[in-house]
Formats: sequence, structure tokens, C-alpha cells
Amino acid sequence: MSLSRRDFFKRGAALGGGIAVGIHLTGCGEEAAYPGAKPGELRPNAFLQVRPNGDVVFQLPRAEMGQGVYTGLTTLAAEELNMDAADIVVEQAYYHPEFRDPEFQMMMTGGSVSLRNNYEPVRQAAANLREWMCQAAARQWGASGDLRVEGGAVINADGQRLAFAELIETARSIPTPEDAPLKPAAEFSQIGREGVRLDALGKVTGTATFGIDCQLPGAMTAVMRRCPHLGGRVRSFDDAKAKAVKGVTAIFEVNGGVAVVANGYWPARKAADALDIVWNKGPLAGLDDAALRKRHDTLLQEDGREVSEEGDADKAVGERLEATYRAPMLSHSPMEPPNALVNVTSDKVEVWTGTQVPDTVIGVVAAALERPREQIIVHNQMLGGGFGRRLVPDYIVEAARISAKTGKPIKMVWSREDDIQHDYYRPAATTVMSATVDKGEVTSFTAKTVVPSIMSQLMPLFAEASMPEWLPPAIPRSLGGLLKHVDTSMAEGISHTGYHFPYMKVSAVHDDTPIPVGFWRSVGHSQNAFFTESFVDELAHRVGQDPVAFRMQHMSPDSRRYGVLKMAAEKAVWGQTEPGQFQGVAAHDSFHTSVAQVVTASVKEGAIKVHRVVCVVDCGLAVNPDVVRSQMESGIVFGLTAALKGAITLEDGRVMQSNFHDYPMLSLAETPEIEVHIVASQSAPTGVGEPGLPPVAPALANAVFAATGQRLRELPLRLA
Amino acid sequence: MAEIAFTLNGREQRVDVEPDTPLLWVVREQFELTGTKFGCGKGLCGACTVHMDGYPIRSCSFPVSAVAGRQITTIEGIAPSLDELHPVQQVWMANSVPQCGYCQSGQIMAAVALLEQNTNPSDDEINAAMSNICRCGTYPRIRTAVKQAASLIRQDGAVSIVEPRATAREVSV
Repeated sequence: MSLSRRDFFKRGAALGGGIAVGIHLTGCGEEAAYPGAKPGELRPNAFLQVRPNGDVVFQLPRAEMGQGVYTGLTTLAAEELNMDAADIVVEQAYYHPEFRDPEFQMMMTGGSVSLRNNYEPVRQAAANLREWMCQAAARQWGASGDLRVEGGAVINADGQRLAFAELIETARSIPTPEDAPLKPAAEFSQIGREGVRLDALGKVTGTATFGIDCQLPGAMTAVMRRCPHLGGRVRSFDDAKAKAVKGVTAIFEVNGGVAVVANGYWPARKAADALDIVWNKGPLAGLDDAALRKRHDTLLQEDGREVSEEGDADKAVGERLEATYRAPMLSHSPMEPPNALVNVTSDKVEVWTGTQVPDTVIGVVAAALERPREQIIVHNQMLGGGFGRRLVPDYIVEAARISAKTGKPIKMVWSREDDIQHDYYRPAATTVMSATVDKGEVTSFTAKTVVPSIMSQLMPLFAEASMPEWLPPAIPRSLGGLLKHVDTSMAEGISHTGYHFPYMKVSAVHDDTPIPVGFWRSVGHSQNAFFTESFVDELAHRVGQDPVAFRMQHMSPDSRRYGVLKMAAEKAVWGQTEPGQFQGVAAHDSFHTSVAQVVTASVKEGAIKVHRVVCVVDCGLAVNPDVVRSQMESGIVFGLTAALKGAITLEDGRVMQSNFHDYPMLSLAETPEIEVHIVASQSAPTGVGEPGLPPVAPALANAVFAATGQRLRELPLRLA
Repeated sequence: MAEIAFTLNGREQRVDVEPDTPLLWVVREQFELTGTKFGCGKGLCGACTVHMDGYPIRSCSFPVSAVAGRQITTIEGIAPSLDELHPVQQVWMANSVPQCGYCQSGQIMAAVALLEQNTNPSDDEINAAMSNICRCGTYPRIRTAVKQAASLIRQDGAVSIVEPRATAREVSV
């Protein structure tokens, strides 16, 4: 964690902050330090508050984007407080350093870490509040004795109750406990229990508030035309026709594009469509998919960076096998298009949006408008999907600049076309997988992947004022932690997979492209699991072994992955299918979680049909088993869209897809039956938002091989 | 500009906007009913689904001039209150269907319209009627929920299958 509270107040004392310590001891002076504080409440730490009416408030420190943190993290607090999670008031937390993730060193939602990294801090925060309430009750009763906390009250051995609301004043005179004991797992009554999602009511009644639903009096709507050729910018434009659209108030150049401001979305969009713009095509002019492919083939000739090497190179003997695999660029396309409402005023800048990175938003908006960080307030909302798209705050900076320029609150809304054509894409990757086979045994397993490093691309981009245009001149320091962390994403899921062969080596060649790339659900694993688990399947068939048995033979029997693979084979009744249907398997570790999937598919008249996916997940303790199941379902459907349909293609440096007709999504009718099993575990919880995705493409490709004998080495899967 | 009159969630309304304005933006901006969502602007994803005279339409590509004199119902208009949810909303909750939730108003409107026509839809009929896109992949639960809602409606609908406790607390917020 960041600076502990204790350290903070020690430092405060050293700076002459005796009063601060005094205030700390009374427990009320910290309110100013925490955003979202209300008068009269008790706030023992960043996460929790007790309001004068007795309401317990949980400050949700992570963005709810479907993955279930609203329910999951609240459950952790509820458990330690012995309250029903539904009785806790949940508020979306404002930025505070104590909400920074200990790994990423910033307040962000991603990397499937929310539950893993908050499992202890949130429970500790709640346990401290529980202990504080007990101490206050003991003082009021004048006896400590046998006290318990339940349903927002402290209860003594005689059955007398003191509600939290009645304890607030007494608590202020007692130092806040910091290391209250956590409940032993054996006493959990909510963690691990089935239950309805806490955010379901708002989402079935249309009352949940997303960024796009926020409004301010006097706000104008802005839309933008951006250069369709990635990295290009406006050369000149004619707005005669656009200005004639009723309701339009301003048209001007910003961020290399043209902004239209109007009194609603429709007039803004109509005017934007009526603009006549001449573009400078920029650095990618002339680039198409054939050129990109050729470029990757050339880069494959380079040695690249060695990512991992295990075993003895001399053991790599026998016949050499080699296969080239490819994955295309992909767009995130969350259902809620990027949008932000920004109000720039003389002393503050308020932002209403859905973001995965409030910390970065504050940094880039502050830099773009040359304001101190303290003036930037991010009111984060429900996210209509994130998947990594909302880690890049380009759309928020656009809105901020337009608000600054017009002096009005600005609601910036992207169209679906804007979204698909101006994403930070899952990068295209090409990988040569190779192996040697001697006397029926695989003696080596090596790979070289060509892919842009998301980190090394974004780092200079964020450092330079000139590109991309929306980016302010200074880099928020916090971003460094994120970029550094994901540098391993190029080869993640090919290297360090837990497979054992006598010799193993993985290298990576950085494709230094100006195509904007970003973090797409499961990042490198999204393509690398396809490469690895397809090729492992090839090897099993090559040595004449069953694909499940072959995998198990080459991994540690005490690994989580071995466990999920074994259970998946049992649950799917591996080897038995309906006539005309075929099975494929894959097992993959990502984000500290192991997932195995058996896909049952058939091929009829050249069309692939997926009938069933059996999924087994080991994510440690499942805090909310139903959320874990839903995230596996979610990853599978997201992964099947990529496996069967997804491809962003380029011509002359422009994205050729524009909406769901040419960048289609899996439909309900195409969705297979999905059966999820969770391995019972008492280990600390690990991620579930991403790990369900990586295995499904290879499991499906392996089923297609079983059905047709065709080894499809390119995504999306297309039969010959 | 042109004045257009129609019924919105049971109330007569008049609005003065450009006649080609899609109904979606009139509902969201003029009437501030934000439960209906913008997803694609081309009638491809269904996030903007509302009912016109009981039938589902995709309001993002439906000009407001074409609803003159018609009955429009949005997600805000299918249940009497947050305490009395429509059976489709009840089963949606009981199955924890929503993830990010952004497409769910449209999904629910599509399901309600289907079940008004057909209280015992087959899988194929569900496939045909439920063509809205969900990026979170809530489809398996949508299928289950539609079947449960059909069964509830066939039994006269009024039974709450959501744990009363969870509902009572949530609606009081």
C-alpha cells in the first residue's frame, strides 16, 4: 500500500502537526483528507464511513465495468462487519492515494487484480471499524466483556444493543484500531455464498448511471471528426454546410481533428457529417494488411529479445517442426461508446465519465489544461464495459479542451464509428512455434513472437506533446508504474507456461509500429494462449498421444492447471460426444488463475458451430461464486467473438471496419451452452475478469482440427 | 422544427424538434429518460430498444416524426414502480443477468415484447427475437431468464421470485 496512515500522521507530527495527531486521535479530523466525506460522519479509513443515521458506506475503490467488483469488494467489507452486503451503501470512490493499487501504484482497474489486491485491505478496513465500534460500546457500557457486531450494531452478552449511530460520538474519543484481527475463513458467512449481484436492480430498471447519462445545466454536446488515417490530422476544412445545421454553436480545430458543439447529439452529429475536411494522412499512409504481414515476416528474421530459456539446448534433437500462427488487430468496442462530461471553471475542472484510471485522468487533464492536480475532480460512473479501452483517457482530454475553449460544460459523445476507428487496438501478432521430436518424444519447444510492445509504444507517446494530439506535454508519473508492469505482455502465455520439455526458449521481436495499440482483455494472453495451446495440440497429435494426457504428462501434477485440466476432462466426459460433434481442449494460466476449457463443436458446410463449453476455473477462494461463473461466461463469449469473427484491417492506414455490421459480435443464437465449475479452494482469491478468455480460441481450434483435420493457425478461424 | 405529439410511458407528450431527430435522442435529451442507451446509431445492436404500440423498435435510427400519434414505452415505463418490477426484470435480477448492464434495458425491452406475443417461446423463437448485442456475454443467462419469465407470466406473473430481502433493501435506496 501507499504511505500508511500511521506514517502519514508521524510525518504530520514531524512537520509541527501535533494538532493533526490530536485530531487523528479523536478520529474526526481526517475527514478532510478523504474525498466524499459528509459532515458528522465517522471515517476510520479511506474505505468506510458511518453516517450519523447509522448507514455504513463503502467507498468502492475500483470501477464496476461488469466484472463484479461492486458486489465482490462490498462482500468483503460486509463479511468483517457481519452485515448483509445489501445493507451497505456503496459509493463510487473519488481519487485518493490510499486507493492506489499496490502493484500498479495508481488508482486503476485492470489486470484482474481488484479482488486479489483488495482481499486483505478491505477486510482489514472493515475489521478495524468493527473493533472500533466494539471499543466505543464497551466504553459506553463501562464493561468490555463479550461483545459482537451484527447488522450495524454492537450486542453484548445480555443481548443489549447499541446501534453504530449511537456510538459515533464515543468512538471519536478512541484511537482508531489499525490491526484488528480478521475473521478466520471457517467463520465466513458471506464470502463464498451464492447471492444476487448488488448492482442488478439499477441495471434492470434503467436507473444505473453511466457516464453517458450524466448531465449539467447549460451543457453542450460535442462530437469530433478525427482523421480516418491513424495518426493523421486535419489540413483544412470547410464548415459552410455544417454551420447551417440548426443548434450548432461552434466548430473549431482541436487535437488534430474538428470539433462540433451543438445543443444536442443529433445536430452535432449532422453538422459533423456535413463538414468537408481535407486530411494529412500521417505516418501510416499506404499501410495495409498485406504490408503489415510482410513486415512481420521480415521481423521474424531478427533474433529478438530472449524472454525465457529453460533446459539444455543440446537436448533439442530429432525432427524439427515449425508452424506460423497469426492474430489480427482487435477493437475493444464496449457497448457504451467513449464519452465524458467536463466542466472547466476558474478554480476547478470536474469530469463525469466512466474510466478505469481516475489517477491518469487527473494527471492528463491537469497537464492538458495546465492546472494543478488538486483542481481536477473525477466523478467516476458505472462503465458500460471497459475491457481495457477505458485505460486510455483520450476522449476525456478532448472534452476538457473543448470545455476550456468554449467556457461551457461539454458532453463529448463518440459514435460507434469513432470508437471502432480510433481505438488503442489489441496489436496484431505473428508467432513461429517450433519443436523437435525424437523417437516419439518432444525434445524441445521454442517460439519467436513478433508483436508491438504496448509499453514501449505508449511510453514515448505519453512523453511527447506532439503525438497523439490529445496528449498533454507532461507524463503523469503514475503511468510509469502501469507501463512497466505490462512490459511482459508481449510473450506472456507463451513463456513461463508451466509446460516442461527438455529444452524451451521464447523470444520476442518488438514491432515498432505507429499503429495505436493498447490493453485488450487478457492482453498478451489473448493471442498467445491461442498460439501455445494450439501448437501443444499439434505436438500431441504428432506424437500420437491424447491431447489431455499429453498436456498432463508435461506439467506438474501439483499445479493448479493440472487440476483444472483433469476436472475439465472429467466434467466434459472427454472422448465422448454426440455423432458429428468433436471436442477440443486448452488449459491456460493468466492473472494467477488457471482455467481449462473443453469445447464441443461441429463443422457443417464450411461453418463452425460451437455447441458447448465446459470450463473449470481455479481462482482460489471464490468470494462470489456466481460472479466467478458469470466472468467465465463473459470471457468465453468475448473470446468466441474474437475466435470466430474479430478482425480490424487497414487500408492506406485507415481502419476498414466501422460498426457492428462489419465488426460483428457473437449473438445469443450463436452462443453455446456454457457450464462452469469452480475448484474448491481456501487460497487467497485471484483474478477472474480476464482468465476465462484465453483458452477458448485454442480449444475451439483444436475441436475444429478434430472435426476436419484442418489446423487453423490464424484468427479469426476460417476453414479452407 | 416541428411539433410532434405522441404518448410516452402512458402520458401524452409534445416535443418541438427537427423531424429527422432519432427517437432515442428525444427520449434521452428532451425527456431525460436515460435508461434507453446509445450503442451504434445504426439499429444494429439494440441498446436503444423501446416499444412502439407494443412492438420493439430500435430508436437510434427511428425518426421522431414517425412516432406521431403512437404509444412509446421505454424501460422506465414497463413497471409501476421500483417495488413492483415487471416479471422480466424480476427474473433478470434473480439470475444476475446484468454485468456492465449497459445493453440490458434494450435486452429487457426485447424480451418483454417477445413475451407479450408469445408466452412459451422455443429456443429458436428466443434466438430470433433476442438479437441485441451484449459485449459482456450475458447471453446464456438471458436465455434462461426469458424462459423463466415466460413461465412466470404463464402462471399469471405476479409472483416475486427474487429474495424479498434483497429487493426490499435495494428499492429503498
